[in-house]
Amino acid sequence: MAVAAPSVGKRGGFQLSAKGQENVAGFLFILPALIIIVIFIFLPLLSAFLISFTNWNGLQPPAEAQNVGLRNYERIFGLDGTTVVRDEFFVAIKNTFYYTLGVVPTQTALALILAFIVNQQFLRFRGFFRVAFYFPSITSSIVIATIFLWLFNRNGVINGVIGGVASALGLNYTPVTWLNDANGIIHNFLRLFGLTARTAPAWMTETNILGQSIWQWISGPSVTMLAIMLLAIWTTTGTMMLIFLAALQDIPRQLYEAASVDGATRLQQFFLITVPMLRPATFFVLTIGLIGCFQVFDQIYVISQGNPAGTTKTIAWIVFRNLRDSQAGLGAALAFVLFVIIAIFTIFQRRLVGKTVQQ
Amino acid sequence: MSTSAAVQPSYGTRSFALLPSVGKVARVVLTYGVLVLFALAMIMPFVFAVANSFKELPDIAANPMRLTPGVRADGTPYSWTLQGYERALNTQQINFPRAIFNSFFVAIVVTVMRVLFNSLAGYALARIRFPGRGIAFAALVGTLMVPGIVLLIPRYLILRQLGWIDTYWALLVPYFADAFGIFLMKQFFESIPREIEEAAEIDGASRFRMFFVIILPMAIPALTAMAIFAFQGTWNDFQGPLIALNLNRDLYTLPLALAFLRGVTGDAIQWDLMLAGSVITTLPMAVIFFIFQRFFIEGVSYTGLKG
Amino acid sequence: MKKSLRFLALATALALIAVALAPSAQAAQTVNLVLMGWSSSPSENERLQKIVDDWNAANPDIQVTLNQVPDYDTTLQKALASGEPPDVFYVDSFRFLDLVRADALMPIGDRLTDIDDFYPALRNAFTANGQFYCPPKDFSTLALQINTEMFEAAGLSAPTTWEEMRAAAEKLTKDGVFGVVVPADFARWIAFLYGAGGSVTDDEFTKMTINSPEAEAALKFYTDLYLDGFAKTPADLGVGWPGEAFGKGLVAMAFEGNWVEPYLKDQFPDLKYKAVELPAGPAGKATMAFTVCYGVPKKAKNPDAAIKFVDYLTGAEGMKAWTDLGLAMPTRASLRKGWLEKFPNLEPYLNGAEYARKWQFVPGFQAVLDKVNEQLSLVMSGNQTVKGALAEIERVGNEVLASR
Repeated sequence: MAVAAPSVGKRGGFQLSAKGQENVAGFLFILPALIIIVIFIFLPLLSAFLISFTNWNGLQPPAEAQNVGLRNYERIFGLDGTTVVRDEFFVAIKNTFYYTLGVVPTQTALALILAFIVNQQFLRFRGFFRVAFYFPSITSSIVIATIFLWLFNRNGVINGVIGGVASALGLNYTPVTWLNDANGIIHNFLRLFGLTARTAPAWMTETNILGQSIWQWISGPSVTMLAIMLLAIWTTTGTMMLIFLAALQDIPRQLYEAASVDGATRLQQFFLITVPMLRPATFFVLTIGLIGCFQVFDQIYVISQGNPAGTTKTIAWIVFRNLRDSQAGLGAALAFVLFVIIAIFTIFQRRLVGKTVQQ
Repeated sequence: MSTSAAVQPSYGTRSFALLPSVGKVARVVLTYGVLVLFALAMIMPFVFAVANSFKELPDIAANPMRLTPGVRADGTPYSWTLQGYERALNTQQINFPRAIFNSFFVAIVVTVMRVLFNSLAGYALARIRFPGRGIAFAALVGTLMVPGIVLLIPRYLILRQLGWIDTYWALLVPYFADAFGIFLMKQFFESIPREIEEAAEIDGASRFRMFFVIILPMAIPALTAMAIFAFQGTWNDFQGPLIALNLNRDLYTLPLALAFLRGVTGDAIQWDLMLAGSVITTLPMAVIFFIFQRFFIEGVSYTGLKG
Repeated sequence: MKKSLRFLALATALALIAVALAPSAQAAQTVNLVLMGWSSSPSENERLQKIVDDWNAANPDIQVTLNQVPDYDTTLQKALASGEPPDVFYVDSFRFLDLVRADALMPIGDRLTDIDDFYPALRNAFTANGQFYCPPKDFSTLALQINTEMFEAAGLSAPTTWEEMRAAAEKLTKDGVFGVVVPADFARWIAFLYGAGGSVTDDEFTKMTINSPEAEAALKFYTDLYLDGFAKTPADLGVGWPGEAFGKGLVAMAFEGNWVEPYLKDQFPDLKYKAVELPAGPAGKATMAFTVCYGVPKKAKNPDAAIKFVDYLTGAEGMKAWTDLGLAMPTRASLRKGWLEKFPNLEPYLNGAEYARKWQFVPGFQAVLDKVNEQLSLVMSGNQTVKGALAEIERVGNEVLASR
C-alpha cells in the first residue's frame, strides 16, 4: 500500500510504476469478493466473537447485553465449578467424535474401493454408475433428511428390507426403532458378552470423568445416531468416489508401464505409485469430510433434534440450542470452541496425511 | 524384513496366475455385483419416495415397501393419486410454483456472480503480488472452519442494517463470493504456466484484458466445477433463505417451502404431502443434473485434483 | 420467434424482480399490522385466516397480514434482536418469562376489555412483576383418551385412578395392541408428578424439590408401564406423536391435550373413543394447562392498532369465532357455557382447567427440561434407575437455579 500511493503522487497522472500497477490490479481483482466476504462473513464472525463475551439472550438488540468476560468459556470447561454446561458440552464432544470416527473413515474407504472398481478397464456402463453414485449429492439436505425420516420409521422401508432379507435367510428380525433408540452400539455389542451397566466393573461405572463414567464414555454412537451416520455416508460417498476416480485416471499410464518393465509386482506398483499419487485427493476428501462432520446440523435438526436421551446432541446442535433458548452468548462461545477444535484437527491431519502433498 | 520381501511377490504372482481362468469370471461378476448393489442403495430411497408420493395416505402408511398401490384390509385395492401434489401445490400460504421460480432465479444469479468474483479473487491471490496477500489468504482458509450456524443471527442483523430483509438482495448478494471457491480458483491459477502470461505481458496487454481474454478461457474446467457447486449449494441452501426472509413468503425458495409444509402438518407428518413436496423440490435439480451430468461429474472430479 | 420468446421470458423475469424489490405502496391512513405465529394444522390455519380476513373487511384502516413461519423460535428471535419485531406474535407460556426478562413485551392487560373474565390461572400465566402482559388466546389441558371399542370388548370402564389405569393397560395389551402410549416427555410426565403430590421446585424457584418420594412414585408408575410391557413410545410404534398411535388403534389409551380432538375427527373419523379426565394419583386429580398469548412488542410501531386488534381476537366475539373450531378452549369464563353446548364431549378437558397447573418455569430452565427428558428415556431403556434419575435432575436443576 505504502508503495503504491507515492508513485501515484510522483508521476502526477495515471501512469503508475509496474509495481504500483500490480498492486492496484491486485486490489481491484480481489475487491468484489473481499467486500462480500468482509461484510457477510468477517463482520458477523467478529460480532459473534464479541457476543461470546456477553450474556446476550438473543431477544434484545445485542448492544443491550452485558459484558461477562470469560464467563461463558469458563462454563464450557467447568472452570467456575459448575457442571451443567460442561457436561452437555462433553456429551456433545463424545457424540460428535463418534459420529466423525464412524463417518469419515467409512465414506473415504468406501469411496476409494468403489473408485478402484469403477476404474477397471473392462467395465462398461461406467457413466451410469458414476451418475447413480453421485445422485444423492445433488439433493437438498432437508429433502434427504425428510426422506430418511420416512425410510427409518419403525414400520418403514429400511426395517421392511432388513426383515425381508432376514426371513429369506430363515432368520428372525425384531424391527429396530431407529429413530428412538438411545442404546450405544458398543454397549449393545458388549451386551452379547453379558456386559451391561449392571454387570460392568465398578471402576467403569463409578468413575466420573467430565460428567460421564467410563462406561458412558465407551457407549459408542446410539442406534439413532447410527441411522444419521448412514445418511451422511450415503450422501457423500458418491462425491468422494468421483474425486478418487478422477485422481486414479490422472495417474499417467506410463508410470505403471515403466514400473512393469523394471519388474515391479502389482502390489508394489500399488504401494509405490497408486498410493502416493492419490495423496492429494485423499487429503482433500479427509479435510472436507472432517469439517463437514464436525459441523453436522441439518440432519440433526430435521431428524432427531438431539434426542433420544441426548445421544444425537452434536456440538453444532448445542450451539443452535443455546442461541435459540435465550443463551446466545454461551452459544457463540461454544461455536468458537468448535472452531478451534476443527482448526486443530485440520492442522493435525495436514501433518499426518499432507506431508507428501507438496513434495 | 527379508521374509516380507520374499512373501510379497509370491502372493502377487499367484493371484496374477489365477486371473485369466476362474479369476477373471469371478472378478467380472464381483465387480458388477458390488456396483449394482451400491447403485441400488443410492437410487432406491428416491424410487421408494417417488412411488409412494403417488399413493394414498393410508396406503403409504400400510405398505411403504410397495412401489404400486396396495390392497386394503377389506380386499379392495388402493389407487394411484395426485392428492399429495395437489395439496402441496395448493397449500394456502405457500406458492410452490413461485418457489420454483425463486430457486432458479437465485441459483442462477448467485452462480454467475460467484464464478466471476471468485475467479477474480483467486487469480489475484495466485498471481498478483500485492501487500496483504498472505494474510488475506490465511483468513480466507480460516473461514472454512467456522461453523455456519454461529453466523446466523449476526448476519441477519447486518442484512437488517442494509434494509435487505425480505428482498431478493438478501438471498443473492451475501453469496456472491465464498472462501471454498476462491481457494479452488487460486489452486487452479497456480497450475497455469507463468510463461503464458509473460508472453501476453510482452504484448502490452493489461492485467484485466489478459485475465478475461487469455486466462479465463483456460479455466473452463475449474469454472465448471465451481459453477456446479455454487448452483447445487444455492439450490439446496436452507439456512440462508431462512435468515434472509421474515414475512415475505413470496420469496421462499424450495427448501424453505418444504420446511414450511412440515410445519403445517405438525408432529403427525402427512407423508403424501411431504413426499410430494420432496419430489417437487428435487425434480428440477434432477432434470438439470441428467441433462448436464457430464459437467457435474467433470466438475466434481476436478476439485479433488486441485485439492 | 424463438428469440422473441426468450425476450419475453427475460422481460417477465425482470418485471417480477422489479415488483418484488419495489417498496409496497401504502395509503397514508391505513395501518398495516403483521400477526406472526406458528402453524399447527391446516384447519387451524384456515380458520385463523378467515378471522383475519373478516377483520380486514370490517376495519379498512387496520389491515392485518397473517404470517405463519417455519422455525418460529428462530424467526421471532431474529426479529426481536433486530429491534423490529412483528406487531403481534404468539407467546407460549413457557417462553413468556424469557421475553419479559428481555424487556421485549409491552404490558397491554390494562387496555383490554373485561380482563376479569379470563380464567385467573391463565391470566396468572402471563402476569409478571404484577403486570398482566398479554391476553391468552386459548388454552388446552391434558386428558385421557380411551378407545371405547377396546374398553367395552374387555368389559372395562374408564379408569379414574392410577391403579385402574395400570390394570386397564395390562388387560388391553394383547394382539399387537398396547395399553397406552407414553412419550419420554416431561410435558406429559409432569401431570403424573403433580398427581402424586410432587413438585419440581419450591414456589420461589430457589431450589429443586423433585427428588422426593412422591416424584419417585410418579416416575416409577410412568416408566413401569413401559418397562412392564403395557406401553410403548410413539417411535416404538412407528408414529410421529401419541395422537397418531391412538388414532391408528395401536394403543387403547393416550393422554394428550384437546388438540388431539380435531385431528382424530379429521384423520380417523371411524374411531370410537372418548376423553375422560386424567386418572387421579395418590394426591388426587392433576393435569397441565398449555396456553399461548398474543404478545405486542415493547417497540411496537403502532401499539394502538395492535392492541385494538388483539382485543378483538381475545374479546368475546373474536374468541368465540376462534374457539368454535373445537381445537382449543376459550380462555373467557363467559364463553364456557356456549362452548360446552357445542362440544359436550370435550367437557373433561375444560373441567381440567379447575385444577390444571401452568407450564411455566424460569428463564434458563430449558436445560433442566432437556435433562428430565433425557433421564426419562434412560429409565425407560433400562439404563438408569428411578432414584438415580431424580438425583441427577435435582443436581442439574439446582445448579441452573443457583446460576440465575
